[in-house]
Amino acid sequence: MVGTGSSSQVRRPASSLIWLVPPVVLAVCTATAALLVPTQVRIPTVWCGTVATVAVAITSSEAVRRGRVISGLRRRCAEQEAMYRELLAQQQEETERLAGVLLPTAVKMLEQGASAEEVLREVAPPASGAAFAAEHRSVLRSVVEAVQAEEGLRDSAHRAFVNIARRVQAIVHQQATDLREMEGRHGNNPDFFGDLLHLDHGTALIGRLADSIAVLGGSRPGRQWKNPVPLYNVLRGAMSRIMDYRRVDLHSVVDVAVTGPGVEPVIHAAAELLDNATRYSPPETRVHLTAVEIQSGVAIEIEDAGVGLTEEARRRAESVLEMGGRGFDLDDLGETPRLGLAVVSRLARTYQFRISLRPSAYGGVRAVLIIPSRLITASATPGGEIARAATLPPPKARKKPGRPLPEPPPLEATAVESRTAGGLPQRRRRSLGMAARAAVVAPADSTRSQRPASEPAQPGMWLDAFTSALKGDDPKPGHGQVSDDTSDKKE
Amino acid sequence: MSKADKAWDPGNPDRLYIVTKGCEDSNKAMVRLDLVTLIVARTETDPGLQPEHGTIVRMCDYPLSVAEISAYLTLPVSTVTVLLTDLLTRGLVEARPPARVAALPDVCLLEAVMHGLQNL
Repeated sequence: MVGTGSSSQVRRPASSLIWLVPPVVLAVCTATAALLVPTQVRIPTVWCGTVATVAVAITSSEAVRRGRVISGLRRRCAEQEAMYRELLAQQQEETERLAGVLLPTAVKMLEQGASAEEVLREVAPPASGAAFAAEHRSVLRSVVEAVQAEEGLRDSAHRAFVNIARRVQAIVHQQATDLREMEGRHGNNPDFFGDLLHLDHGTALIGRLADSIAVLGGSRPGRQWKNPVPLYNVLRGAMSRIMDYRRVDLHSVVDVAVTGPGVEPVIHAAAELLDNATRYSPPETRVHLTAVEIQSGVAIEIEDAGVGLTEEARRRAESVLEMGGRGFDLDDLGETPRLGLAVVSRLARTYQFRISLRPSAYGGVRAVLIIPSRLITASATPGGEIARAATLPPPKARKKPGRPLPEPPPLEATAVESRTAGGLPQRRRRSLGMAARAAVVAPADSTRSQRPASEPAQPGMWLDAFTSALKGDDPKPGHGQVSDDTSDKKE
Repeated sequence: MSKADKAWDPGNPDRLYIVTKGCEDSNKAMVRLDLVTLIVARTETDPGLQPEHGTIVRMCDYPLSVAEISAYLTLPVSTVTVLLTDLLTRGLVEARPPARVAALPDVCLLEAVMHGLQNL
């Protein structure tokens, strides 16, 4: 503005002189003509010349004035055009920013669980261009609200999924507990027992499916474990949840335990990978399962002898593994849902597992599942836990054939006692053996020697008492009777 | 029984059919092993064994009946029978018939003899 103003001021004297040129020229011509023409027409000539000069002067001054007005208008017009261009560019830039930056940010924030107001406050367009900032804001608001409604719908669908899965899991868990009890109760009948195991296996498969749905719904799988579980048992737990567990060979497993919170995810991820391995390999081949310790944790290797993955299938599987964690849509449950890898990737994202699928030397696939070391702890029971490890090693003095008996002194003592009490050399074999054994096993335990002595010695009863005692509340009397009987036989 | 189940449940994700590797229908074992058959190990424990097998071999250092093994492992008798059949086939343990009650002197007879002696 300043520049144009100064230039017009500079130009003004020139232009003001220019309008004088035609009247001056005309006045000079009129004067010349008046000098040259004869004297009798000089007066009219001078009059005409003067009138023409005045007319020209008026016209040219008017023309110059109008020219000045036109140039002012043109200048203003150019200024306005430039302003509008600038405004347009700004608006375009704003729109691009809205589409390219603000909306994706808003959607991402909404996906992460922010509320609509929070998102609007965070990603509001800048104050410049106040005219269309309001419109942009309203566009953003309507989009944000739509996205939030959609997210809410998806969330509620997920919750419904997880809810249903949890109910199924609860039923399955109850069923498994009942089945385990029945297996204990009917353990003596092989046919019945076999059928129960079959049912047990079927229940485990249902449980895995329910776990998968829960995981895809964004929840944790199944039940929680309080104590660390040896990796060996974790892997056997994974084997127990697939259809073809008979084809899995469990090889060497590193002697560590998985911490309580990690047990179920590891079982589930390994079960899904084992299921893939057994499902996509011929039924007569074996699947090899090992676990080795590595720098960053433990690597579980699952190797099958199937046809393997083509390069394209492998890429697709890995892309599923990568993007699976991003979210789960109901659309993913197509007609033939292939949940396995999606579930594994979901678990991997939550628990920082790493998974790789590579061609195996057997021709199939070698899946490696790496468990981070924060989920690994030392194993309390090296070599794996067996049923109830607490009662496992029977606390009795073992006698090797040929080795001297370890308990002669207490035996002598009790023998002498019984002799003095009865007055005669009585042979109370049961109480004697009992006392001797009890003295060897736990000398401090005095209650034990009294109980069997009061019982009448009935052949066959010891077995019943022993089994019920070991499974029941007080294993001690049962144990005493066993050792009693074994010492009997030794005698 | 229910207490034993609870003890099994929180600590162990194994199921019984995994322990027996799915050969739960080996009926041939049932004829040879009953509850009171004594099992005794023939070898030392081999680290390559399945834990259940290894434990049985370690336990049967001294003769134990099938029922006792079942009770210690808290495994049903059928499962233990399958495990033992496996071990018997591989020659790691041997089965002995139970000591017959008839071979032992009758307590009543001994008491009668004792009373007779006292009355002399």
